Amino acid sequence: MGSSDIQIVTNVDYSNLESISKNIKLLPGNDQIKELQTILRDKNTTRNDFKFYADRLIRLVIEESLNQLPFTDCKVVTPTGATYHGLKYRSGNCGVSIVRSGEAMEQGLRDCCRSIRIGKILVESDVDTHEARVVYARFPEDIAKRQVLLMYPIMSTGNTVTQAVKVLKEHGVKEDCIILSNLFCTPAAVQIVTDSFPKMKILTSEVHPVAPNHFGQKYFGTD
Amino acid sequence: MNCCNSYPFRPVSLYTKTPTCMPLHIDVGETQADLSDVFPDGECEEEKSGDFYNTPASPITVPYCPRPPSTGSQKSPRARRQRTTSINQSSKKTSAESMIRTPHRTIYTAGRPPWYNTAGQQVEPFVIGICGGSASGKTTVAAKIIEYLGVPWVTLLSMDSFYKVLNEKQHEQSARNEYNFDHPDAFDFELLRETLERLKEGRKVEVPIYNFLTHSRETRTKTMYGANVIIFEGILTFYNQEVLNLLDMKIFVDTDPDVRLARRLRRDISQRGRDLEGVLKQYTSMVQPSFNHYIAPLMAHADIIVPRGGENEVAIQLIVQHVHRQLQLRGFKLREELAQTQNYVGEPRPNTVRLLPTSPQVRGLHTFIRNKDTPRDEFIFYSKRLIRLVIEYTLSLMNFTERTVETPQGVSYKGKRMGTNKICGVSILRAGETMEQAFSDVCKDIRIGKILIQTNFNTGEPELFYLRLPKDIKDYKVILMDATVATGAAAMMAIRVLLDHDVAESNILIVSLLMAESGVHSIAYAFPEVQIVTTAIDPEINDKFYVLPGIGNFGDRYFGTEPSDEC
Repeated sequence: MGSSDIQIVTNVDYSNLESISKNIKLLPGNDQIKELQTILRDKNTTRNDFKFYADRLIRLVIEESLNQLPFTDCKVVTPTGATYHGLKYRSGNCGVSIVRSGEAMEQGLRDCCRSIRIGKILVESDVDTHEARVVYARFPEDIAKRQVLLMYPIMSTGNTVTQAVKVLKEHGVKEDCIILSNLFCTPAAVQIVTDSFPKMKILTSEVHPVAPNHFGQKYFGTD
Repeated sequence: MNCCNSYPFRPVSLYTKTPTCMPLHIDVGETQADLSDVFPDGECEEEKSGDFYNTPASPITVPYCPRPPSTGSQKSPRARRQRTTSINQSSKKTSAESMIRTPHRTIYTAGRPPWYNTAGQQVEPFVIGICGGSASGKTTVAAKIIEYLGVPWVTLLSMDSFYKVLNEKQHEQSARNEYNFDHPDAFDFELLRETLERLKEGRKVEVPIYNFLTHSRETRTKTMYGANVIIFEGILTFYNQEVLNLLDMKIFVDTDPDVRLARRLRRDISQRGRDLEGVLKQYTSMVQPSFNHYIAPLMAHADIIVPRGGENEVAIQLIVQHVHRQLQLRGFKLREELAQTQNYVGEPRPNTVRLLPTSPQVRGLHTFIRNKDTPRDEFIFYSKRLIRLVIEYTLSLMNFTERTVETPQGVSYKGKRMGTNKICGVSILRAGETMEQAFSDVCKDIRIGKILIQTNFNTGEPELFYLRLPKDIKDYKVILMDATVATGAAAMMAIRVLLDHDVAESNILIVSLLMAESGVHSIAYAFPEVQIVTTAIDPEINDKFYVLPGIGNFGDRYFGTEPSDEC
C-alpha cells in the first residue's frame, strides 16, 4: 500500500482501470467490505441499517484516503525506553464536502481528524440543460496551500465532481493536492474525471456500471 | 455464592500470591460461628453476604446445598437469578483473606494461577473424596480443609445435589418418613460420575440444585468451573467404583454413632422443628441400617480415616500438608517458561496469524500511541482509531456467503453477506475492555463477555480472577480482545477458559493491537486453530514481560493509572 498502484478486488473485472489512470485506487477489498456494499445496494435495507452500514463504509474509505496524504519518517521513544521508527503526517490538510451527499462523509472525517477544517461546495444541476453549476462555495482561507480531501460518495456521471474541482482550482488548489474520497462510481465517471484532471487522486470502494443513486435520499431520509 | 455482580473493581497496583503467608485465622470467633452454621438454610447465608467486603469474586465454589433427608421445615431455596458466572463467592473467610487493604492500596490475592502447560494442556485438579455417616462432620472437615489449605479455587461438590427425583409414591413415603434417603438407590450415580469427570477435566459443569420440598431438581442449575482442588463429600462417595477411581485422596470421617445420633436429634428437632418420634423412627429404620450395610464397609477404601470428624485438628493438618505437596508438584511457571522459549527464532510465522496490512495510517497511529510523550487524550483517540481498524479487519475474516440482492436501480447486485450472526466478544480485562466500544460500534447488539486476568506481582504469572460469559457461548464465534499480547500467557489462559466452556478452538479469534513474536508463536503452538489478529508484531520482550519497542502498559496509559513516577 502507500503506492498508487491499483488494487482491484471486486468480482467485476476492471483491469482496464490502470489504463485510465495511475491515480485511481480501490479500497483494498475483502468480504466484509463486500457485505457493506451489498447492504447499501439492497433495496430492502431499512434506513436505520442503511445509515449504520454507510457510516462504517465511509469510515473505512476515509481511513484509506488519509493513507494518500504525504508523510515523513520519524522516530519516537516508547515507554519501555526503546525506539520506534514511525511516521508523521504533515499538517496543512483540509476536507471539502460537496453538498448534500458529501456531507454524509464529514462525520467520518471528523472521527479520524478531530480538528480538521472542512469547506463546502454546493453544486446544482440546471433543470433544463442538466448542466451542473456551482452555486455556493466556502473554503478555509489558505486552501491553496493545503492538501484537499474532496468528499462525494456517489459518482455516476462525474459532472458534479468536475465542477467542484474546477472551483477548487480557481481558488489556487493544485490538482495533485486533491484526493477524491468516493464510495461508489461508474467507469464512465472515472473516465471523464481522470481525463479532465489526470493528476487528481481518486479513492473509491467500488467501480460498477450502476451507481446506487438513492444514497443521499436514503441516508438523509428524504426518499 | 452471592454478590459477585455488585462488587466494584478497585484500583489495583500490587498483587501478591501467597495466601499462605497470611494469617489463616483472621477471626477465630467468626470462623467458629461459621462452622456452627454448616447446615445453613440458605437464607442466612444470603444475609451474611452483606458482611462481605467488596472483593472480586471469590474463587471458592461452595454450592448452595440444603441438607437432605429430614424434610420438615426445610425452606425452598430462594429463587435467584440464573447466572452464568463461573466463580462464586460464599466463604466469608476466604473473601477476607483474598484481599489486603493498606492505607494506600488494595491487594487482591485470589487469582487462579495457570492450570495448563505451555502446550495448552491442562493439569487435572486434585480431587478429595470425603465419606462418612450422616452427621459425622463431613462438611466441617471439608470446611476446615478449605480453610487451612488457604488455596483459592476450591470447589465443594456435595452428593446432596444428586438425589434422584421422586415419583408420587416415593413422595408420599417421604412425607411419612418412610423413604430411605440413605440408601444408594436414592442417588443418581450416573449424573454424579459425569459431573465429577467433567470437573476433573477442567470443564464447566452445571450441577443440579435439589429441592427437598418437592424432591425434584430445580430448573436452574449451579455453574461450577475452574477448580484446582475439588472436595467431594457425601454419605456414599466411595460406593460407586467409577466415582471412586476419580478420587485422588479418600478420607473417611468416623464419628461415634452416639455422637452422630445426638447431633442429628439436635439438628432436626431444634433447627427443623421435627418431633422426637419421627426422627428416631427414621434413624432406627433407615439411617442406622443403611450406615451399617452400605456406609461403614466403605471405610476399607479410605486412604485416611479421621476419627472425631472436624475436631481432629492433627488429621486435618496432615491432610492439608499432603495436598499442598501434591499441588506444588503440579504447579506451572508458565510466563517465565514462555518468555524463555526462543524456539520460534527462524521459524516461519504461524499461518493462523492475520496481520492488518501496514498502511501509512497504521504506522502513523502506532507512532502516536507508542510515543511515551503522547498525552492521554491523544493516546485514547488514536488507540480508538487503530482499534476500529483492527475490529473491521477481524470481521472480514468471518465466513461470508454469496448473496444476490435487488437494487432500487432495478438491476440485481451480486454481493456477499456474513454466514453467521452468532458472533460475540470477550474482553480480557482491563486493557481488552478498551476494544469493546469499537466492537459494539460495528456490530449491532453484540454480546460481550469479560474475563479478568491480572499478573501476580510476585511471580509474574497471570491469574484468573473473574469471568462472566454469554450463556450459550459454545455456539458462538468468539472474538477475544486484549490490547497487547507479550508472552501470550494471559491470552492463553483466556483461550483455555473458553475451551473449558466448550467453545470450539477454530471458533476463537484473539485480537490485539500489538503482539510480541514469541507470544504469537506460543499461542499458535498451544492452540493451532485459534486465529491471531493484530496490527503489529514486535520482535522482543523485556524482563518485565513488556513488548519491545512496545507501547508500555496499555491499560495504565489508557485509563490513567500509571505509577506516579511515570506521570
